[in-house]
Amino acid sequence: MSETTTHIEFIIGTEKRLTEIISRAEMEPLLRSLVKAGPLSAAVLDEADLPLCRQGLEKQLTPAHEIRHALLVEGEPKGTLLVTFDPDLATVPEALAMLARDALQLIINNNLKRMLTTELHTSVVQESYDQLVATNRQLMESEKKYRQLSLSLEQQVAERTAELQKAYSRLLQQEKLAAVGGLAAGMAHEINNPNGFVRSNLVTCSRYFQKVQEMVNFYQLQIAGNTQLLQLQQESDKKRRELKLDFVFSDASELLEQSISGSDRIARIVADLKSFSHVDESGSADADLNDELKRTLAVLAPQIAADAQIIQDLYPLPPFGCNPGLISQAFFNIMQNALQSRSAGLNVTVTSRSDDSGIKITICDNGCGIAAENLPRLFEPFYTTKEVGSGTGMGLTVARDIITGAGGTLEILSTEHSGTTAIIRLPREVGKR
Amino acid sequence: MIEFDEQQKRLVLKLVYYGPAMSGKTTNLLTLHDQLSLQGRGELMLLDTTEDRTIYFDLLPFFYVAPSGMKIKLKVYTVPGQVRHDATRKAVLQRADGVVFVADSQSAGMSINFESFDNLEKNLSMVGLSIEHIPLVIQFNKRDLTDIVAEDQIRSAWGPTGLPVLMASALKGWGVLETFKEVLGRTFDAVNARHALISRFGVDKEDFLTTILTVADDV
Repeated sequence: MSETTTHIEFIIGTEKRLTEIISRAEMEPLLRSLVKAGPLSAAVLDEADLPLCRQGLEKQLTPAHEIRHALLVEGEPKGTLLVTFDPDLATVPEALAMLARDALQLIINNNLKRMLTTELHTSVVQESYDQLVATNRQLMESEKKYRQLSLSLEQQVAERTAELQKAYSRLLQQEKLAAVGGLAAGMAHEINNPNGFVRSNLVTCSRYFQKVQEMVNFYQLQIAGNTQLLQLQQESDKKRRELKLDFVFSDASELLEQSISGSDRIARIVADLKSFSHVDESGSADADLNDELKRTLAVLAPQIAADAQIIQDLYPLPPFGCNPGLISQAFFNIMQNALQSRSAGLNVTVTSRSDDSGIKITICDNGCGIAAENLPRLFEPFYTTKEVGSGTGMGLTVARDIITGAGGTLEILSTEHSGTTAIIRLPREVGKR
Repeated sequence: MIEFDEQQKRLVLKLVYYGPAMSGKTTNLLTLHDQLSLQGRGELMLLDTTEDRTIYFDLLPFFYVAPSGMKIKLKVYTVPGQVRHDATRKAVLQRADGVVFVADSQSAGMSINFESFDNLEKNLSMVGLSIEHIPLVIQFNKRDLTDIVAEDQIRSAWGPTGLPVLMASALKGWGVLETFKEVLGRTFDAVNARHALISRFGVDKEDFLTTILTVADDV
């Protein structure tokens, strides 16, 4: 279809000539009948008096009796009806000519109306069509634009999603670092304590060792000077008392024993940390979740208040195939919340059970609980009720992600001021499928 | 301008009664037809209507022949006011020499008046005419009704346009001739400014106006 539309343009009000309005076919039968009724001739003339249609005698032998009637277009004379009669007629039937004039005028008026309506209708239809074509073109263009937009939109969404994922994993890493940071502070204290007395013991022991060395040197000197045995005995007793060696020997063995146990303590802490973080492992392994719970409690020990009561109600669990490092991170996050839920008189009960449906671990505290309005937002990333700087708002988000990743669910039940229960459900033998 | 034939000394002008639906455009023409002498005018042509609402247009022609032989034919049209007949309004507006905007005085009609006036401005520009330059007269019709906006309120709203605002009741027959005379005079001036009717063709404005505005004897 061609885009260019050529069409007739009507200007409303354009002047019309008589020939445009009435046709020969319309005039002829009327004039013919008129002539049959008596007149010599009947004709319709245009503005210049030239005949448009004529009936009757072509030539008139005698000067005829003429009757002229104007034919009006929009009230303006645009032609003439000319009727001629035999001049010898006693009475000229003027009414006949008027009748014909009225009939012609009626045809002209009606034709004009019809023409005007048709012209207007045509131009309106043409205009509406042009508008439709233009609208259609605009619509197609905008549709094209939107289609392109939607294509690039998908791409944009994909890019943004990738960015978000990157940001999210960065945040997870930060959350881990924050947890490690908190742990490190506690651990530093735990390790510094035994390390402090081990060092102080060693300093004391090194001083004791100098005394023992001095005693040995004394003996060597006496032996080299051939001192009499009795005198040597007296001198050495005197020296021993001087150096308080009896005390040194008994104290040194005590100090060393203490230091050995201190060193053992450090070793145990490092072992706990190592097993908690699973630094030696990577990927999936069969884990005893009870061990993981215990280790988590062990590394959290520095954060447990002296008067807090921690009840471990653990039943044997089947081995669970998972990434133990991740699972203990989840336990850590949940338990840390429990430990922070109350400053004095805290009770935390950790239970583990297993049946045919799977493993169920609950961590229940008698802490401050969670306000009802905050419950729906618990797992929302960055949502925290802790003071700015003390919570990342990622703890439970990460815990739930890890547990769902292992095929399980994390449910938090809480009533404000009366405590919180976290229920972890894990499927049986998920790792072995 | 529909036609200007200098050799034939013939000029055909177009006036358009524009305005919102049911504001009384056709009634204006009927009143002109009834009140003015048949000598200066032709018959009123009402094209087909549906339920008495104009769907095409109405036409009332006027004629004037100056002593110099200059013939001026004036065709006065109405447009259909209903929103849906916009294309028809545009077609009728083509080559208009003057416009009467017939507004509805009723309180409920004010926003519709402004809408229709915006529509007039838009359609004028679409047919290559400018609302700034075309002779334009505002008529507030239906002043015989009771729930109407006060005249001073109308004048303060429309005064800033600088357009002549006339009050009328086409139904009761007053204000219609005054409106017609106002637009006729302004149109004559505008055409004269372009074609020097007075100096070149010896057309007298007063004679033109009085001839066309000859009141019928029986009114």
